Amino acid sequence: MIEPTRTSWTKATAALAALAIVVAACSGAASPSGSVAPSQPAASTPASSAAPSPSAGESLAGQSVTVIGTWGGSEQDAFLAMVKPWEEQTGATVKYTGTRDLNTVLTTGVASGVLPDLAGLPGPGQMTEWADSLVDLGGVLDTATYKAETAAPLVDLGTVNGKLVGVFIKTAVKGLIWYDPKTVDFSSNPPATWDALQAAIAANKSKVTAPWCLGVESGAASGWPGTDWIEDLVLRQAGPDVYNQWWQGKVKWTDPAIKTAFQTFGEVVATSYGGPTAVNATNFANAGDPLFKTPPGCLFLHQASFITGLGAFATEKAGTDYNFFPFPDINSQYAGAIEGAGDLFGMFHDTPAARSLMAYLVTAQAQDIWVKIGGALSANKNATDYPDAISRRSAELLQNAKIFVFDASDLMPTAMNAAFWAAIVQYVQHPDQLDAILADLDKTQVDAYGQ
Amino acid sequence: MTTATATAGARPGGARPAPRLLRRLPLHLVIVLLMVVWLIPTIGLLVNSFRPPEALTQSGWWTAIFSPSQFTLDNYAHVLAQSDISAGFVNSLFISIPATVIPIMVAAFAAYAFAWMSFPGRDLLFIAVVGLLVVPLQSTFIPILQLFGPKGVNIAGSFLAVWLAHTGYGLPFAIFLLRNFMGELPREVFESAAIDGASPVTAFFRLALPMTVPAIAALAIFQFLFVWNDLLVALIYLGAQNPDNKPLTIVVSNLVSSLGGGWQYLAAAAFVTMAVPLAVFLGLQRYFVRGIVGGSVKG
Repeated sequence: MIEPTRTSWTKATAALAALAIVVAACSGAASPSGSVAPSQPAASTPASSAAPSPSAGESLAGQSVTVIGTWGGSEQDAFLAMVKPWEEQTGATVKYTGTRDLNTVLTTGVASGVLPDLAGLPGPGQMTEWADSLVDLGGVLDTATYKAETAAPLVDLGTVNGKLVGVFIKTAVKGLIWYDPKTVDFSSNPPATWDALQAAIAANKSKVTAPWCLGVESGAASGWPGTDWIEDLVLRQAGPDVYNQWWQGKVKWTDPAIKTAFQTFGEVVATSYGGPTAVNATNFANAGDPLFKTPPGCLFLHQASFITGLGAFATEKAGTDYNFFPFPDINSQYAGAIEGAGDLFGMFHDTPAARSLMAYLVTAQAQDIWVKIGGALSANKNATDYPDAISRRSAELLQNAKIFVFDASDLMPTAMNAAFWAAIVQYVQHPDQLDAILADLDKTQVDAYGQ
Repeated sequence: MTTATATAGARPGGARPAPRLLRRLPLHLVIVLLMVVWLIPTIGLLVNSFRPPEALTQSGWWTAIFSPSQFTLDNYAHVLAQSDISAGFVNSLFISIPATVIPIMVAAFAAYAFAWMSFPGRDLLFIAVVGLLVVPLQSTFIPILQLFGPKGVNIAGSFLAVWLAHTGYGLPFAIFLLRNFMGELPREVFESAAIDGASPVTAFFRLALPMTVPAIAALAIFQFLFVWNDLLVALIYLGAQNPDNKPLTIVVSNLVSSLGGGWQYLAAAAFVTMAVPLAVFLGLQRYFVRGIVGGSVKG
């Protein structure tokens, strides 16, 4: 390995040259960091922001708003389409990053003060924890209009200690029962009770391979479609009070109310297309594909409203190829209960451009753009530009619910939520171990809520 | 090299090469088998990157080999049509190259000092550096981001922040590898240089550095691949602040929606992303084996 002196000279020079390039590049990096500067919190609120309307104007030209959210792919396209009119109107730009590691990015961000202007929030639980870092939207939005246009439970979910810190940019209705009207058409006479649903299954047994389609695989979040099942059953069997105490950690998992829900879910798993192994191995997005097979693989799929943008639903036609009815009531005392979910949005930096964008995003005008593209429902009652009757019906369901609850697993502490997901996967595979699974969840509950 | 010795050995005996080949046959079979097993996931990914989503959900990739008619370039077309893919590519290069060069430069200086210069506390310092190898980088995010953030030096969101972060994360291993390699260089070389009046700086640039090139090249491959494939560090130090600087990994992960839609594009995106590391690896591979055993044997 002994090299002639000449070569070693050349190499030393090359190394020095490389160092010089690095030094030059380092000094060049001052400009990107400089461009970040406008996103820092404004020292004082400009007078123009007193009227929070998207037309607030030309003063925003050239400014930018950094936004981070979980949306990628087609959702990212929809979000960018939604902010485009605002960009054209104000001359400001939206700089969007999508990541499914949102929780990590924002947790480190809140702890260190490095935050985007606007951000999607992983759930109401984290929003409450970060309430001190979030800007009070009371002075940013046209609060009276926002409250009039939005379902009250959703407004409440975004409020922490009387401070409005989160708004729902898009929502979804959980617990819809999807079917193919070409197999059996339930549109004129949907089963209103659990017993009627069982009767419908018994009557149409011969037309399908299995009554239910079910798939709980979803990468690291595998199991969540099953948690929706349990939540829907708890809500309708035991009522909203037990439901709310349950996610708050005040009802044990071994409580008969929760155990009954697991057992009812177990009956569904036992009669699902492909059996337990297929349930765990099938991605939730493709779980409904057998609905459209000939002969049909199953009669029903239980899934949220966003399924219309996924799997075979994306290519089938709403109304003629698929339709839904709301989850039937089990205990008549709690009739008309609906479970919803949604993507919360909050504001970390109070800049004029961020205020303007935030105010714009909740308007019916902006919301209409996304709902028209599909796959999302709006929390805004005046956003009605749905692409089909199916989406419009699910949006009305959400707005007119007699009893409204938010997705329980999303409200639970992260550790509890993850354990709930894992428990579903385990229960699907080993239904006989239910007592041990619930006892384990009780242990997690003690730790997760203890902090 | 091996072919040359084989033919050279064939001449005198005549009967000898056959048993030798026979003796080596199981070894070659095992190597070929291991390579096939090792490559299967990549081959599967490659085949799937050319298949339409309906086919992906219905059958395994191996079934596609027998019906190549269904192959499509749509996935690649979609990935390459993303508006931010070319910017992401440039950003990835702009992050990876300095984030490879800086730690190696610093590590080479440090390794030389640890190997050939005596100063008080040298061993203790070296132990501290090696100890840093076991610190999980995730645990450093909050304190470092505080330092980079508006309360600190305010560089979060700039390329400089990612370069410095990767330099810090890469240094312990780089110093460890280079020190062991440099420590093995013959003492006489440095002694005679010192007698001839060479300063430590001259000895470093004209002796130590050129003789360490294989180890440096191996290290460069490791560090480049680590930085190129990194998603989390870029997301933490750039993502929230300045999406303009986002590397290819963030762009690619954004092809998938929050509910998992669009996953069929990932296989194609993986091969687009893989192109550069593959070129780097093939370009530097002759140094690779020499470098990786560097520092392993004390002599």
